[in-house]
Order: sequence, then structure tokens, then C-alpha cells
Amino acid sequence: MATTTATITLSSTDLLSDELALSTTATLTGASNSTGITNTEGLARKTLASGHAEYVLFDGASYTAAKAHKLYLKNTSTDAGQSFKITINGEELGLLFAGDWAFFPWSAHDNDCDIKIDPSADSMTLEYMLFTD
Amino acid sequence: MAITTAAVTLTSDLLSDNMSVSASTTCMKAGTTADGLDQIEYAIVEIATGDQYDLICSTPTASKGSKLYVKNHSIDETYYVEIMIDAQAIGRLYAGDWMFIPADFHDANADVEITALNGTNKIEYALLHEGTALIAS
Repeated sequence: MATTTATITLSSTDLLSDELALSTTATLTGASNSTGITNTEGLARKTLASGHAEYVLFDGASYTAAKAHKLYLKNTSTDAGQSFKITINGEELGLLFAGDWAFFPWSAHDNDCDIKIDPSADSMTLEYMLFTD
Repeated sequence: MAITTAAVTLTSDLLSDNMSVSASTTCMKAGTTADGLDQIEYAIVEIATGDQYDLICSTPTASKGSKLYVKNHSIDETYYVEIMIDAQAIGRLYAGDWMFIPADFHDANADVEITALNGTNKIEYALLHEGTALIAS
């Protein structure tokens, strides 16, 4: 069985009076079981050379619904004003600013549950990886 | 300016080549490189089954650089929470899983909603933000 882990560390010495040092690791498994996740797409990069319209990154119809899929995204831009708007079935998740990353579960609960990205400028590059159950 | 760093490492032996991906970012206010996020809500709550709850009870300022971390501390592998934004399902956070997203609360309906399934789930969350609309007493 493959073992895939995701570790996050949140740290700050000056946000609170006490040091913030949060770290946790998740072993990615299937939905409601302890079997390691079995498929992945990526690691990949995509640059939208011209135009910055909304773009389908993953089509909800292509993935089994109600599973334990996980998605990693990173905006590789170094221009602080450049962001990717991330939406799921049209609902805005948030703006991924330059250098920021995100990691979240995706249930692909129906065919409309596409993950779309909308860069704020031309020639922006997104790095991404999908783990599927 | 407060400096808060968020780092991730993904490792896997799923592929023929072992994979290790790392990324780190300093959590900044929207569109800046000079001003870090300097406000935080950090808590742990137990979510009972049966109802959908707003995870963040305050109203963060819309379309900013807020970051949301959520971890499911459940141990039973069948336990999970459904994460939704404005009634749109995002994904299921199973026992032991965590997530980290930019959460821009783009309008008044863009609440982060959470529903526990199969048992009471213990949820840890941290919201780094640029300000919230406080409720007058």
C-alpha cells in the first residue's frame, strides 16, 4: 500500500504573546477506511500564456463523487498583486496570492463540481497536484 | 508587522519515483509583500451530528488575504465533517485530515459551514485574517 503524507507547519514568533508553532501530519487514506490513497495526477504546472479567463482545472464529472480526494495548489507568481481566484461549482473559495499554496479536500459531489481557476493577469503559473480516492 | 509562515510538505511513494513536494509562504495581507496578517482566531470545538454550523461566527472583511486552517482530530476513520461554503460542498475532512485554504468571504453569504457525520467530531481551526465585523453588544 502506498503511503502519502501531508504535513503543515504554521509558525510565528510575534503574532501572539506566546509562540505559534503548529505542526501536524495527515496520512492520506480513502473515504472511511485506512487504505492509503491510490491515485494521483501531477505534480503539474500550467501557465496561461495569454488571456486570463476562467479555466477548468478539474472536471467534477471525471471523478467519483463523495470520496476523499485532496488537492494541492500553488501560485508560483512573485508579483504580490497577482492572484488566482479558485472556485468550486461557481462558489468562490478564495484568492491564492503570489507564493501562496492551498491544500484541501474535494468531494466532487456532482458533475457540476468543477474546480476552476481564474488568474488575475496573463502568463501566471499554477502548480498543482490531485490525489484521488 | 507580524510574520506568520505556513509550510507544507507532501511525500508519497505512489509513483515509481518517490515524491517530496514542499512549499512555504509568509501569510500577507491581500496584494502586499510588506504587511503580514496580524489577527487570528484559533480554537478547538466539538461538532455534534445533525446540524450544519457556521465555523466562523464573526464576519471577516470580504475579499482579503484571510487563510483558514482546519483539522479533524477524530480517530475513528468513518468520522468526517463536510465542509461547505455558501451551501456549496467543498470536500470531506476525514479523521486526521487537515486543510489550508485562502478564504476570502467574498460576500455576506460566503460562510464556511461544517456538518459532522457518523459521530461527534473534534475540530481545530485557525483563521488568520485582516479584520472582522464585531457584533455590537
